[in-house]
Amino acid sequence: MKSRALLIAIIAVMSALLVWLAFFWEPIAPKAVTKVQPHSQLQLATTPQGGDFTLQGKNGPVALADFRGKVVLIYFGYTFCPDVCPTSLSLMAQALSSLEPAQRERVQGIFISVDPERDTPERLKEYAPFFHPAIIGISGSQEQLAAVTKQYGASYMKQKPNAEGQYAVDHSSVTYVIDPDGKLAASLPHASTPQQISDAIRPLLTTSGK
Amino acid sequence: MRNYLRHTILLLGALTLSTAVFAAEGDFTVTDAYVRAVPPGTPTSLAFMTIKNSSDADRKLVKADSPVAKTVELHNHTNENGVMKMRQVKEIIVKAKGQAELKTGSYHVMLIDLKQTLKEGDTVPVMLTFDDGSTKKLELPVKMPQTVMKMDGDKAMDHSKMKH
Repeated sequence: MKSRALLIAIIAVMSALLVWLAFFWEPIAPKAVTKVQPHSQLQLATTPQGGDFTLQGKNGPVALADFRGKVVLIYFGYTFCPDVCPTSLSLMAQALSSLEPAQRERVQGIFISVDPERDTPERLKEYAPFFHPAIIGISGSQEQLAAVTKQYGASYMKQKPNAEGQYAVDHSSVTYVIDPDGKLAASLPHASTPQQISDAIRPLLTTSGK
Repeated sequence: MRNYLRHTILLLGALTLSTAVFAAEGDFTVTDAYVRAVPPGTPTSLAFMTIKNSSDADRKLVKADSPVAKTVELHNHTNENGVMKMRQVKEIIVKAKGQAELKTGSYHVMLIDLKQTLKEGDTVPVMLTFDDGSTKKLELPVKMPQTVMKMDGDKAMDHSKMKH
């Protein structure tokens, strides 16, 4: 009788285990899944509108409207940035290099510095084309930058300087893809591959005859 | 059978010996290390690397030095809702029998106020100091980010994306 009770107990435990395995056990750590979510949440929550702007380059004002007929890639960053910006601009450069020459001529990269205190137009002219000749560097006043980052749903926040007065700037790392009509076509999250970037560019080049 | 036994003993002996030699050289091995090439006039760069700890204890990288920069700091990145935040850290833990990866979007040795432009093909001395006081001198190649990405391929980028 005792052994029968034991048997029932074992069966009950095994059944419970089976139920748990079937319905609750997640072989993939749930942590890995939740980590990805902030990206998509940011994308949906901000829904940037994009739109025209005019900022300052080394050779005078640069407007988004100057590049009608071209696909424009916009990235907000700062040149003091040692990792995130060079990584993003290198990925953009590789995407540009992967295009056919005729396509590449119709794509313009724009690096917008959110750190105009240190990033002068001269400095930006040295910096951006280093990654690819089709990328220019521009910036503007704090008011202009506040307006353009708001249009695109980008954010930045200057951090406390160190003993030497050098500071980091927290910033969103997104590559914005603008179609030949000047409309925001896509916002590519940080670390998008050259393939993902060029995949976003190509359809925009074929659909517009302008 | 006897032959087999002898081989096993020889192999064990060799293993013990090699471990001993390795330990004498230090508990740390550094691989995939490089300094990033930067555009002319850029005040900052960084060093990436993988540090392996062969010892049985968790250890910490507490300091890095390089003659090419006025200030050298240990930094980490966090991605908070798509905003990349770079912060100085006191130390980088290298787990027992484990490794620490200093890579894009994560930890790095930050070189601040560069005294020279770092071009691809240059070599930069970097010295690491660990919590036990031991040091490791490295001569790191300077590489363009594109060069490194091409070597790693798209797989590596996908991997780094997974982390965020």
